[in-house]
Amino acid sequence: MGPPPVVTGISPKEGPPGTRVTIRGEFLGISVTDLIGLKICGCDCLLSAEWKSKNKIVARSGPCKGRGDIIVTTKSGGEGTSTVQFRGYHESVGPMKESAVWVEEAAPPSLPWGRRPMSPTAYTPPDPLGLSTEGDDYKFPEEELHELFPDGSGKLSDENFQPGWYLLEHHSNTSYEDLKAGMVFLQRKVEGQKEGQLSFLKANTGAVMDQLDRLVLLKNMYEEDQRKNGREPLPSLQSAIEESISLADSLFSEILSRKENADKTREALSLLTRHKFLFQLPSSIDKNIKKKEYDLVVNDYTRAKNLFGNTDVKLFQKILAEIDKKIEDLKENLFNRMKTMPINVQEQTKYIRLLISLNWDGDAAWTAILSRKDYLMNLMNKVKEHFKKKEEQESNEKGRRKCREWECEGSWSATRADWCGAACGALASELHALWPLARRYFAGELAGQPTLPQRHTDLKEMIIAMVESFSEQMRSCLICTGAGGGAGPGAGGAAGVAADVLRTRLVANLRHLRDAYDSLLKLDLPSQPLSIVEKVIFDYRVHGMTVFLQRAHKRVKGLSEKETWKIEEFSDYGAITNLPHLLESYVNDALSAIHKCVLKSGRRKSPLLGAGGEPLAVLQRHTQHTLLAFVSVLRDLTMHHEDQDFNNTSLSVALDQRLEESAVEAVTAGRSWQQRLLVAGANAQYTRRRTLANILTAFENQKAEKRYRKIRIHSSSLEDNIAEMYLEYKGDPLVGTIEPSMYMGRHHTDADTLLDDARPYVYEIINNLIAVHAEVDSVCGAASSRYVRDICETVCEELARLAACAPARSRAAAFQARLEYSLLRLAVADHLTRKAENYLMEALAGLPPLDNEEDKNRMDNIIQGFKKRMELQLTSLNCNMETV
Amino acid sequence: MCIVQVCAAASSAMSKKPAAQPTLHKVIMVGSGGVGKSALTLQFMYDEFVEDYEPTKADSYRKKVVLDGEEVQIDILDTAGQEDYAAIRDNYFRSGEGFLCVFSITEPESFDATQEFREQILRVKNDENIPFLLVGNKSDLGDKRRVPLDACRERAHAWQVPYVETSAKTRDNVDKVFFDLMREIRSRKSDDSRAANGNVRDKVKRRKIKCAIL
Repeated sequence: MGPPPVVTGISPKEGPPGTRVTIRGEFLGISVTDLIGLKICGCDCLLSAEWKSKNKIVARSGPCKGRGDIIVTTKSGGEGTSTVQFRGYHESVGPMKESAVWVEEAAPPSLPWGRRPMSPTAYTPPDPLGLSTEGDDYKFPEEELHELFPDGSGKLSDENFQPGWYLLEHHSNTSYEDLKAGMVFLQRKVEGQKEGQLSFLKANTGAVMDQLDRLVLLKNMYEEDQRKNGREPLPSLQSAIEESISLADSLFSEILSRKENADKTREALSLLTRHKFLFQLPSSIDKNIKKKEYDLVVNDYTRAKNLFGNTDVKLFQKILAEIDKKIEDLKENLFNRMKTMPINVQEQTKYIRLLISLNWDGDAAWTAILSRKDYLMNLMNKVKEHFKKKEEQESNEKGRRKCREWECEGSWSATRADWCGAACGALASELHALWPLARRYFAGELAGQPTLPQRHTDLKEMIIAMVESFSEQMRSCLICTGAGGGAGPGAGGAAGVAADVLRTRLVANLRHLRDAYDSLLKLDLPSQPLSIVEKVIFDYRVHGMTVFLQRAHKRVKGLSEKETWKIEEFSDYGAITNLPHLLESYVNDALSAIHKCVLKSGRRKSPLLGAGGEPLAVLQRHTQHTLLAFVSVLRDLTMHHEDQDFNNTSLSVALDQRLEESAVEAVTAGRSWQQRLLVAGANAQYTRRRTLANILTAFENQKAEKRYRKIRIHSSSLEDNIAEMYLEYKGDPLVGTIEPSMYMGRHHTDADTLLDDARPYVYEIINNLIAVHAEVDSVCGAASSRYVRDICETVCEELARLAACAPARSRAAAFQARLEYSLLRLAVADHLTRKAENYLMEALAGLPPLDNEEDKNRMDNIIQGFKKRMELQLTSLNCNMETV
Repeated sequence: MCIVQVCAAASSAMSKKPAAQPTLHKVIMVGSGGVGKSALTLQFMYDEFVEDYEPTKADSYRKKVVLDGEEVQIDILDTAGQEDYAAIRDNYFRSGEGFLCVFSITEPESFDATQEFREQILRVKNDENIPFLLVGNKSDLGDKRRVPLDACRERAHAWQVPYVETSAKTRDNVDKVFFDLMREIRSRKSDDSRAANGNVRDKVKRRKIKCAIL
């Protein structure tokens, strides 16, 4: 809270109401809105206040009078104080003052004999000195007058009148001469009053004489009148009045007697009518009942009861009994009508009211409510039966042949949709009728007798029972799961029906349900039944979502048949087919369908995919299944050719002879198996890196959060599997050929002569590596290095093993081995991993070092020659390589 | 917060006690219209210089200041310079304890008018030694000066009052005139009270003088 406002300046310091006042001070508010109060002399002036700065406010004074503080109130500082004061005065309007209103110029003329009684206090002559009063501009400050004359008053009529006050107040600026003149005037007036009656008579002689004449005239007239009429004029007047009274009586007596007669006749007539009404009542009741004018019957009946209820006349009693019997019949009739369904609420209400007014013994409204409830239950069952029957009938018509297909369609058939619509309609309309009825019943509008307290709970249970049966029906109608094995009929049905049909059905059913729900909402039902319906809708939405997801799952499963091995594009992760794209589009289809159909939540409905909710888990699970299915599809695609012979085309010279037939095979299969393997690997990688990310974004767009770690792990493990398998099939034969071909050469060599070149097996290894590299590169592009590296590693391992098994004894053998290893190392230098390098080093370490210069030179020469000869091969092996 | 409020309330209640209320000095600004009475006042009160001219009727300002280590209140009555309001001046002058008679050094007419004001004040207050300062305002407009400094000094000397030149625009000497006047008022008041306490005859004499002229 800041410091309170302090007003230290006011300009001007006095003025009439409406004066524009500049208020200055400190902490008068930090903004326009901070200023929340301004009082000048107790008058609220906030309305006119203009906040200028924290030191200045401009306002207009209110209708205040006298001195008073200026109190500023701010939000930040609270109510403030004031060191200066404002004085408000009301300008009295005089003849010289410009004014917008007409003012009487002076007090009413003071007539000495005026008829107006005037108290001396109420009237003071405007100007006893006969001087014109001064304007208000030169007013002598009031408070100073108070100071000067502490006990005085300026009013002429007051006891404590002080002439000094009066003079200062009214004539403070009058010159001395004028004052003297005023004194003379006043003296004259006083003198005039002192002179008294004689002077008055003198001044008014004419009027006095006139009055005397009038008095004489009056006296003469009175005497003449006495002479004419004698002293007692009253008796004659009395006789005249009496005469006139008797005359008037005689004039009116006839009319009065006639009126009496008329009254009597009227009375008799009304009695007659009443009796006639009673006697005719039975027949009129019958007539009215026939015409369904029940209100009339009720009115007549109550009237008869009032008129003749207590009669002692036998005849009347007899008739009344007859009427009572008729009324009893009518009541029964009405009651039955009220109970008979269907009937609209207005009519039912009407019957209930009639029954109440006819004193029905039972609780008519409650019965009505009960019968409505029974009717609704029946109706629901009927609807159910009807559609069940219809379904059966249709399935029979279609015959056994189509039976399975029918089963397939299951919950998505048009009949089911109709059923849903009908049930929803029935529920909505009946509850629409029942609920207001019940409400009015409990409000006491329809209660013939006081409502029993447990009726409330009864009603609630009733409604809940109704809604529950409805929801049960809807569940069985729309959400049938678990009836089949594995995928369930939902998924089966989903696959059987076209996607758009599915979607429209789903949307239509949802709309039915929502309409019903909305209409229930409008009814203001208690929350419990509402939540039941809500749950159904929710479940149905989840169901719909599940169906879409299952559908996607199914489609993904079927992907293996769609694989054509046609390379769609070369991505960063190698050549891929359209499988990842298909996966993405399937998942997106499902998502958009879900979004369009079920995700948008209606009024008062919880969002489908709330955090931690069950639907979210379902969505996650299904998505995971779908993606896992895709992974397994990829796996199946790669693995299921296992029985096929591995194509070793161009792998080994030893297996050369198979080249021809393999080539033919490769052409027929479209793509060789190992290529497929590679493609699948690329697919897996692409899926992991790209497609999953896309799907994730799609999910995020649909505001659903997902975790993919597991999928990623599966996918990458698949990748590894594929890679491993490929390597196994590629590497094993390659490695296998090393040993035989190594020994193959050894037979022909002399153990002691130094060779000029490596044995053929080295070239073979290099060639094989080139082949693998070429193949991998053709499919995987940049990603190929990984495969080649791995194969290199196995090759090196094998070499190390062989070197360890057969240590070189002779110098020539050692030289040869060293030469061979060096060459190999040179050739595959770019593909060597650390492990492979270690293997080679190990192999080299097992050899005795070169001890003479000659051998070293020789070795260098051979290596240079090798480089020159093998340049093309080496280039092809090392092209397109990422360095490790 | 609550405690603070209570304390504040307590302290404010304390300060409201009459004993704590500082002495009040009533200063009245007089002079012709447009010489800068309101400008001087506002400069002194709020450190602001008002550019636009809006004739004053009668404004009232009051704030606490520290005069030679003593807290006092100064009440400034800023009167109208225009002749239209001449008639009500008397009433205002009556309540004043000290006067700042302001004229503009660029306007000889306003300097002439000070004579009239002086006379009126003396008539109303009936006191030759009433605290009074002759103030030549607008000293920042030295190049437009039309009232020679000598004339001003001469008049002040004749009246036996101090003469100060101020500038409401530059705040030159603004505080000085108010504080000098307050000192005069203060010393005058202490003289009076001494006279009241000590010399009864003096008091009577003063009264007598007053009555005689009335």
